[in-house]
Amino acid sequence: MAVTSAAREPFASTPAASRGFNLGRLAGRGVTYVILIAFLVIFLLPFIWIWSSAFKTSQEIGRNPFALPTELRWENLVEAWTVGHFSEYMLNSAIYCAAIVAGSVALACLAGYGLSMLPLPGRDSVLVLFLLGLTVPFQSVMIPMYYLLRDLNILETYWAFILPGIAIRLPFGIFLMRGFFRGLPPELGDAARTDGANEWGVFRQVMLPLSWPGLATLIVFQFMWAWNEFAMPLIFVQRDELRPVSLGTMFFFGRFTADRGMIAAGVTISMIPVIILYLLLQRRFIEGITAGALKS
Amino acid sequence: MAGTTLDGPFIAPSSSPVARSWRRYRAGIFFVLPALILYLLFMVYPFFRSIYFSLTSWNGVTAVKEWVGLANYRELIGDRLFWLSLQHTIIWVIVGTIAPIVIGMLLAILLWRRPKGFTLFRTFFFMPQVLSTVVIGIVWNWIYNPIFGILNEALDAVGLEDISRGWLGDPDVALYAVLVAAIWATIGFVFVILLAGLQNVSKDLLEAATIDGANVWQRFWNVTVPQLAGVLNVVIALLLIGGFSVFDVVFVMTGGGPANATEVLATYTYKEAFTQNNVGYASALAVVITVISLIASVTFIRLRERQEA
Repeated sequence: MAVTSAAREPFASTPAASRGFNLGRLAGRGVTYVILIAFLVIFLLPFIWIWSSAFKTSQEIGRNPFALPTELRWENLVEAWTVGHFSEYMLNSAIYCAAIVAGSVALACLAGYGLSMLPLPGRDSVLVLFLLGLTVPFQSVMIPMYYLLRDLNILETYWAFILPGIAIRLPFGIFLMRGFFRGLPPELGDAARTDGANEWGVFRQVMLPLSWPGLATLIVFQFMWAWNEFAMPLIFVQRDELRPVSLGTMFFFGRFTADRGMIAAGVTISMIPVIILYLLLQRRFIEGITAGALKS
Repeated sequence: MAGTTLDGPFIAPSSSPVARSWRRYRAGIFFVLPALILYLLFMVYPFFRSIYFSLTSWNGVTAVKEWVGLANYRELIGDRLFWLSLQHTIIWVIVGTIAPIVIGMLLAILLWRRPKGFTLFRTFFFMPQVLSTVVIGIVWNWIYNPIFGILNEALDAVGLEDISRGWLGDPDVALYAVLVAAIWATIGFVFVILLAGLQNVSKDLLEAATIDGANVWQRFWNVTVPQLAGVLNVVIALLLIGGFSVFDVVFVMTGGGPANATEVLATYTYKEAFTQNNVGYASALAVVITVISLIASVTFIRLRERQEA
């Protein structure tokens, strides 16, 4: 924190800081807060509106959108959960997320380690092949992917989202984990190797435990992606019983358009898991975004 | 013979070059192969297959894919809807890149000195970024609703009821209405990256500029921005790549309508591929999106190289 206290006042203690200047700075601070609070309202108001609507009847929502609900009606949430199929969508999303996160994190971790710490013929080409995946939009692969899944007979099953989901998240995972492993001193492995450990042992007992911070960031990111991904399940999984929350919410919206309280409840349910995760692990989200974008 | 025994390990049959390189590389292969197989099957193979499909007139059903050469691409050139989608996509990329950067930069600068409430502001500015596009689309669909949407209510309240309308149903404004929702959701991402970039901007230089009498704007433009150039390049490139292939938010909010007013390349491709079953033609569209995106990312890599050099 010593660093940030210095960062707090970059303009402090300049000889030019006269009394009049201070007054200007006070006004400046006022303007700063006005702008910041205006944006806070812009970012928060839609959420507050939706969340409070989840507890209202449609008539109440029509009357005054920002009035707090007169009473906490849980009916909308209960109905969205049961009649609106959100219980199924949630379970499906849990299955998809568990499989995609586990698969993509494990494979990216292994490959990221191999591509940074172990000798491999054509290592750079393999790496470039993976990293090109970061720049390729989903549209470049989606059509043949659909027919591939059809030919493999796994269209309209959980696998139709899980397998391509893992594959499409490998570039980001490998990129992140390789960057992380490269930051570890390779001599650590040499010590274990002279003690007779094989490469798997070095990875498992020395490197993997040290890579936990990188892994945690990766898990958070792959989870967020898998929970929110829309296009893949839209195209590959059309049966309602197999829909994840993201897609289910959209069809739910189409089905109950007139029932505003119900829609608000569905939208609220579908964002609860990521919002909770975000508020708990905020620093990981923000660090992960920054690391993903800035380090390479 | 004594000499050869000493050399034994080196000429033993098990140490043929093949066996030696196998022993040297097997660990690496073992670590990389699982990911590589899945990636080749589900990413690399479909990527090249897209190009092949785009040279056929396949409809997704027949066993034979009839080779038509560049006919699909020739058809694209005469396709009014293609040019319209491209035009919308380009508007999307330009506005959707500039607006989040301008607003994200403003917020990052205001929070640079970590004023009171820093964490609170950062938490909520970034929050839309963790939500699915479906949620964002539905929330904004409500905001724009002509009957109960808060945008029209707010306009009525300040006496601007003349401009209130069904924002997503009006072909003149629908694209921009969707864009605003997307920008709202993207600001947090840009803001967080720029905020991180600002941590590396030299405060001494800023202080020196202040002493030299530079005003706020001069300090920002001549001292801060040049030091942020690298970070800005990355942000711009990411927004460009995302913009050219934008799909989710448009599909959820308008589905490309009304009357194709919000049709972008990706929604057009989706419809051609999965509702019209024009697989060959849709693949040609997909290849066009790919090429444009790749040009954007190559430019990005160039910029990064220049910055590192």
